Amino acid sequence: MFMKKSPAEIDPEQNPALACLQSIIFDEDRSPEEQANTYKNEGNDYFKETNYKKAIISYTEGLKKKCSDQDLNAVLYTNRAAAQFYLGNYRSALNDVIIARKLKPTHLKAIIRGALCYLELKNFPEAVAWCEEGLRIDSKEKKLVDVRAKADRLKRAEQRDIRKAKLKEKKEQSQKEVLHSAIKERNIKLFLEASEKEDEISDDLAEMSLNGFSSENAMGTKIYLDENGNLNWPVLFLYPEYGQTDFISAFHEDSRFIDHILVMFAELPPWDLESKYHPSNLELYFEDEAREEMYQVNPENTLLQVLQHQRYFVKAGTPSFLVLVKHCPFSKNYFLGKKVHRLK
Amino acid sequence: MEQEEERVRELLGFLGPGARPDVRSQAAAHVLGLTGSAEGRALLAARPAFLEALLLLTGESCAATARAAYLALVNLAAEPASHGALGPALPLLLRRLLEPGYGLAEPVCTLLANLSRAEGTCRRLLQALREEGTGLAPLVEAFCADGSKERPALHYLGPVLANLTQLPEARALLLDRSGCLVQRLLPYTQYEGSAIRRGGVIGMLRNCCFEHKYHEWLLSAEVDLLPFLLLPLAGPEELPEEEMERLPLDLQYLPQDKQREMDPDIRKMLLEAILLLTATKAGRQLVKEKGTYLVLRELHQWETEPGVLAACEKLIQVLIGDEPEAGMENLLEVKIPEDVEKQLQRLDLEEEWSQGREAQLGSQGLSR
Repeated sequence: MFMKKSPAEIDPEQNPALACLQSIIFDEDRSPEEQANTYKNEGNDYFKETNYKKAIISYTEGLKKKCSDQDLNAVLYTNRAAAQFYLGNYRSALNDVIIARKLKPTHLKAIIRGALCYLELKNFPEAVAWCEEGLRIDSKEKKLVDVRAKADRLKRAEQRDIRKAKLKEKKEQSQKEVLHSAIKERNIKLFLEASEKEDEISDDLAEMSLNGFSSENAMGTKIYLDENGNLNWPVLFLYPEYGQTDFISAFHEDSRFIDHILVMFAELPPWDLESKYHPSNLELYFEDEAREEMYQVNPENTLLQVLQHQRYFVKAGTPSFLVLVKHCPFSKNYFLGKKVHRLK
Repeated sequence: MEQEEERVRELLGFLGPGARPDVRSQAAAHVLGLTGSAEGRALLAARPAFLEALLLLTGESCAATARAAYLALVNLAAEPASHGALGPALPLLLRRLLEPGYGLAEPVCTLLANLSRAEGTCRRLLQALREEGTGLAPLVEAFCADGSKERPALHYLGPVLANLTQLPEARALLLDRSGCLVQRLLPYTQYEGSAIRRGGVIGMLRNCCFEHKYHEWLLSAEVDLLPFLLLPLAGPEELPEEEMERLPLDLQYLPQDKQREMDPDIRKMLLEAILLLTATKAGRQLVKEKGTYLVLRELHQWETEPGVLAACEKLIQVLIGDEPEAGMENLLEVKIPEDVEKQLQRLDLEEEWSQGREAQLGSQGLSR
């Protein structure tokens, strides 16, 4: 009868002979060096069986003996690092090889393991540095040459990605600035969330609301400056009576509201149960949220004209307007208790 | 004439171990001054006794005296007449260079750079390296080591490596595929701190590119030489995305303050190295694939030095021209007609002459 695996836990009742053997192996009377060495061999056996967890326990026991043979300790640390490595514990593995290298600076296996850990941890410059340290000891160590080549390649690819991201960020920033000065030139005011001091809004323009533009709105569209230097806005139309909306992704600042309304309501929308949303029947409003007042908009006006209104504040990068039907009971209810500035 | 002889003999006495240390020190400083002029070098370079006395002084415990002796030797080594007497000292100089705590490694290095310019002395240096049993690895290590206060970075190892790799045997050592020597030197084509170091490494790489049997390996992912030769030639120009993605990763999305190699001679060496890489069919293919043309197109717009422009145009010709006819694919093995060969030799000579001048200027700079 042969044992295929080394027994982990031995019950002296069941297996007195084995327990006896084990006590010989780990006899406390032997020197710490001998005991540590026995644990190392035990760990290596587990390692060969790919039982890394047990191997770690054995190497740890070996290290606990605190023997004076630093080369042996370096091997214990390096081997435990290898077992940790195969379990995916790259940080723990790295800590072990760092100690191993301190104990024995020329221990190539520790250096190789360290380089592999850094590679896994995606710290490519360190991986290259460790390989080069190792190549100083053996300039032709195959593993080090290979790992260095791989880490160097990845390092350079990473640097390229960083450069690309930086350039992209820079471009976006300058686009934002151009957009921002276009808005400022037109005297269009942006609504500043979380600020109650509305008078300061236009002063804070620079700070603020670049963010409102950088983040795309819910529809995934953004304001943009076309090749002729005109702004195109995403615009939201709200129909409170039916809880419906229309979204125009690029409303040219010089087009008039009526132009869009004529197209949008060329046919009656399916939700218009009473067939009353004819272009000529519609009234446009915007809301001054800070003062909770409503302003009627002349549909003959262009978007730019309306946005330049002294009480218009663009919110979240998307101007929005209310559309209601003239003389309709819903409208009367809707405006109840609100101040409405009607067209003269 | 006799008067001169007398002066030299007297000076030699002051340099020798018989003289008082302060006298030796003064004499060394005086000799260093003499070697700053062409006449002084002509007078002293051919006197073995003098050179040996200086060599002895480099072992002086007083660092200032030893340094003055080294610098005088650096200047004298620009004269081939001095090499006969200095050759036997090469193993000693090499040991000092590589000794970790040695404080005067820098002048030793400069001296070796000047000595290795002559082919015979260069061979002796390689021989000495071999006898140490380690080949070129220690030199590469020393070259890659960062400078510290006690031991400055050894930039002149660049020219030493460039000179050594004029010898095919040294190239074979450096290009050993089982090692990792040439790979570690590549980043220094972008070393901003010293044109001597950059020029040395790039000259060395150009020398290595004469070995067409290594071209495929040099261009493979294992070494990836090409981006390191192209990067110093690339500027900050923004390319369309589609072109950008065709470049090697190292050349993509370079910052707007990216600068090209400042030294026109180094730019020319880079172009020559790439041209050599296009000598074989496989090499040509690889160089073409990596978007080399795009980098050269932008360089050509920017370049003003006629010599560099000519090298650039020559390379562009190869990149956009038709493939040579069958049997002529390896440009380094093509049989060259006698008259063309002669012309090429003349061109090579001119080039060597101009390089020689350059190195000498370097050594004079030190004697000041």
